[in-house]
Amino acid sequence: MRILVIEDETKVGCFIKRALEEESYAVDLCEDGAKGLEMALATNYDSIIVDLMLPSLSGLDIVKGVRRERIQTPILILTAQSQVDQRVKGLDAGADDYLTKPFAIDELLARVRALLRRGATDSPGILQIDDLVLNPATREVTRGGQRIELTLKEYALLEYLMRHTGRVLTRPMISEHVWNQDFDTFTNVIDVYVNYLRNKVDRGRTKKLIHTIRGSGYMLKAD
Amino acid sequence: MPLRLRLSLWYGSALALILVAFSTVLYFVTARSLRDALDQSLEETAAAAVRSLEERGFLPLIDEDELMSQFPELARIDKFFQIFSPSGTITIRSPNVKQHELPLSRRALEVAFSGKTIFESAKYPKEPPLRLISVPIIYQGNLLYIVQVGTSMESVDQTLNRLLLVLLVTMPLALAVSLAGGWFLAGRALRPVDAITLAAQRIAAGDLTQRLNVPASADEIGRLAGTFNNMIARLETSFRQIRQFSSDASHELRTPLTVMKGETELALRRPREAADYTVVLESNLEEIDRMTRIVDELLFLSRADMGEVKMERLPVKLESLLEDIHRQASLLGQESNVQVILGLVMPAIVLGDELRLRELFLNLVDNAVKYSRPGGTVEISLTTHLNQAKLVITDQGIGISPEDQKRIFDRFYRTDDARAHTKKGTGLGLAICAWIVESHHGRIEVQSGPNKGSTFTVTLPLATSPS
Repeated sequence: MRILVIEDETKVGCFIKRALEEESYAVDLCEDGAKGLEMALATNYDSIIVDLMLPSLSGLDIVKGVRRERIQTPILILTAQSQVDQRVKGLDAGADDYLTKPFAIDELLARVRALLRRGATDSPGILQIDDLVLNPATREVTRGGQRIELTLKEYALLEYLMRHTGRVLTRPMISEHVWNQDFDTFTNVIDVYVNYLRNKVDRGRTKKLIHTIRGSGYMLKAD
Repeated sequence: MPLRLRLSLWYGSALALILVAFSTVLYFVTARSLRDALDQSLEETAAAAVRSLEERGFLPLIDEDELMSQFPELARIDKFFQIFSPSGTITIRSPNVKQHELPLSRRALEVAFSGKTIFESAKYPKEPPLRLISVPIIYQGNLLYIVQVGTSMESVDQTLNRLLLVLLVTMPLALAVSLAGGWFLAGRALRPVDAITLAAQRIAAGDLTQRLNVPASADEIGRLAGTFNNMIARLETSFRQIRQFSSDASHELRTPLTVMKGETELALRRPREAADYTVVLESNLEEIDRMTRIVDELLFLSRADMGEVKMERLPVKLESLLEDIHRQASLLGQESNVQVILGLVMPAIVLGDELRLRELFLNLVDNAVKYSRPGGTVEISLTTHLNQAKLVITDQGIGISPEDQKRIFDRFYRTDDARAHTKKGTGLGLAICAWIVESHHGRIEVQSGPNKGSTFTVTLPLATSPS
């Protein structure tokens, strides 16, 4: 899951980015409004977190700009103002949720999870395919009741695959949603990580869940 | 009691009083003049009778017919005629009193003996009241006759009664009509007051955008509404400023709080290296310093607003103050590779508070250094002109757009460029500068354009006696 954070207060932006990264999300941080909108339009993010008070372009204008391009990415607005009208304006412009500064990290993460859930069509909090279960809230993965330990990137990759079960996911799609903008797409890192996942999820099982679609990419399905 | 009712009642009572007084006077004056006219006509008739008797040498009158031919006016039914002997018995009388006995009153007889004329009113049962004149005829000191002429007062009484009736009917009618008119006029005059009250209620309920419809007239109500509107406009402005200020203040204070809360929570989510904690604590310390500075400056400004900040009024040598500041600013400039130079510095002495002036100049020079680009130059100069000291600080930094220039002295106002350029500012420095300049009766101005650098000019009045 790849998230864009647009926040001009450097320190605030940095800790949000770190908190999200520790939850295995891929995060791009931008401190300028106009540039943030450009990034939001150029990349297919899974969620956008935007501060309302920004230099050059306000958060409200970013929300409007994104929605004008018919991009339905869930947007969370951060506001320092406790005034109701600012939040109302933000929500009316097309934002999905808001958070008032100062906020608790746990709440931010919970709201992001909720937004991502909303992005995928009506999926419940817990993702499941066959006997493979992934809980985004606890980031616990089990197969047949057995716990599987994953690294951050492996988890992120599995979550992305599970949210798009039964669909062919190309390498560019995977890199766009699991890695951030610093990722070099010309390496075979994706294949390496898919192999790691296979070892942990499918090895020793009769039923394989991760499938390679030759010439295209990968797919998660229970036949 | 509503003003409208009170006004109407006052007006009505006054009017009723005037009407009653007027009617009373009218009634009595009319009664008096009618009676006087009657008396005069009686007197004239009596005088004519006396004259005619005189011509006849006061011979006793015997024949009624002769009497009537002598005094044709007696044939008129409205007057009658009697002649009494000095004993009070009737010797002759006009035919129109025949059916009644009208004896001479005792008092009339007494007055007749003293040779005087008397008017009397008399009332007999079943008859209209009468008015009588009794004239004695005296010949060589002896009372010969008493001539009495009388008339009915019926017409006078009727006239008076009619007048009374007219007054009693028209007076309450006039009072009622004018009361209704007064009620209507008072309502009309007071309607704008009601409108003002309604608007004031809406405004009191919190809607400061409301205004009164000011009547075009320059009367009392128009002036009241105008004054009221001015007051609301000022209230609205100051409310908006306060709201803006508290929203800005809370934003400026929330940002460091957000950083501290976020970083601390993040650090506590899992065990970390000692170095990570150090980074968080150092960052938090920075934020605490920032908040302390904001709170200190806010406190200073609010004390300044309350007039609680003491200001010295002592001679201050600006040129030596500037040299000090130049030394400090040069050190600041070295860190960011900005050169601070002293231009033309003329000696100047102003009356003021040296500490505050130092704060003012240091703030301005510090700003100039902060918003300069590496390699830039900041120039400070001091000149005097007439009785003014002019201090100019010029930088070649990021500059300020014309629309921002109007607001940079506002509390918490920071331009986007300033925010992007340095995170350290509190947004209160220039507000404090403006206050210091103002309390020294000076002026502060800025000339700038985006990327054209900025020039801040402070003008202060020179001390009048350079000692």
